[in-house]
Amino acid sequence: MSHPTDDELVDLALGEPVDADRSAHVEQCAVCSASVEQLRRTARLASGSESYAGWHAPDDAVWARVTAQIDADDPLRAEVPDTATAGTAYAPEPGPADATVTPISAGAARVTRRRAAAWGAALVAASLVVGLLAGRAIWSPDESGSVSQVALKTLDTRQREGEASVVRTGDGLDLTVVTDRPLDAGDGYLEVWLINADGKRMVSVGVLRPGETGTFPISQALIDQGYVVVDISKEQFDDKPAHSGDSLLRGQLPA
Amino acid sequence: MHVHDDPDIESAELAVRLAGGDREALAEMYRRWSPLVHTVALRALGTREDAEDVVQQVFVAAWRGRGTLRPERGSPAAWLVGITKHRVADVRTQRYRAHRNLQALASEVVTEPATPHDSDWAERLLLVHELERMGDPRATVLRMAFIEDRTHDDIARTLEMPLGTVKSHVRRGLLELRDRLKEVERVASD
Ligand SMILES: [Zn+2]
Repeated sequence: MSHPTDDELVDLALGEPVDADRSAHVEQCAVCSASVEQLRRTARLASGSESYAGWHAPDDAVWARVTAQIDADDPLRAEVPDTATAGTAYAPEPGPADATVTPISAGAARVTRRRAAAWGAALVAASLVVGLLAGRAIWSPDESGSVSQVALKTLDTRQREGEASVVRTGDGLDLTVVTDRPLDAGDGYLEVWLINADGKRMVSVGVLRPGETGTFPISQALIDQGYVVVDISKEQFDDKPAHSGDSLLRGQLPA
Repeated sequence: MHVHDDPDIESAELAVRLAGGDREALAEMYRRWSPLVHTVALRALGTREDAEDVVQQVFVAAWRGRGTLRPERGSPAAWLVGITKHRVADVRTQRYRAHRNLQALASEVVTEPATPHDSDWAERLLLVHELERMGDPRATVLRMAFIEDRTHDDIARTLEMPLGTVKSHVRRGLLELRDRLKEVERVASD
């Protein structure tokens, strides 16, 4: 027997009366019963929409970000119609070509969002450093010297690949981070964080250049508040000042 | 008789123009559907910042992947919602990684559990949107049938409409909505 019509399947899905031989067919036909289930799900989802509270338009700036990002695409590629880009809807962001951080000059014709993003992140980092420096001022000077140090290890294999140390300087504390070999930042950059032992809060202390030693001013108050886990993460130029979640090395300073 | 523009024809035209590389078509799609995309992302992710990032990514992806749009499948709204689901899933994966990494840092650390979510938000909101743009009397019939859960007889009496007409609106309306969900599924599972 042939499959019931779409209309009959809808009636079955909604519990409307249907000829007995039709419903007998659906019970034994995988295609039709899947179809009926899909229609039931649609009706279920439509019925739940009364709890809906209203549309929220995105901020006007978002459209500008869309056009800036499209403009930043290779102009040749952007002009090639459909077939050339078919199947690339979810392709990763284009590579390092426009990921390079370059200073924004006053006359720059087009600032891509990625560049803006990198500078946005740098600004956030800088403002945090300023905040930390402000904290130093109230810390009373003590003798210079090493306060504590810890090995930095990979999260998965716990392999030691670097070291972090906190050194007391004349007017505060310096956090120094050294890696045994240059870390791979891919097409992003490396950021150093102090994560609170409560696992919920963290501050960015600065950007680490691969293969270099980084020294960042921090405050005693920060340590006292529990920001004792040194973390190096790989960050993308994505305008997200928050931790990417991609940690390369980590170590907790001893109390 | 209520007269309205046929939104399906307009939408199909937009889809064809976008596939052909018309930037103005993208702008028009943004005007029409960015609130839908944004609301889906906002419901699924909970923060405006993440939701707006998703909106940006969706429309950039729509432009870059305009060749995957199938104008014959009707409204590009479902296509956009499918892309949105994809992006929302990416953000959730990143959050999960961040969560897991934080958990790994100290054995006694307590972290917030991942927020539970209703994975059907995207589909529900798309259906709300489709019902809004569908036009009367079909939209009213469908609302009464599915949201108010009224019988076909009741709807026919209330709207002073032949029972056969009510049934036909319900059938065609539900099949249309079902096709939208299939399109979301096709794109989201790509
Ligand atoms: Zn069948």
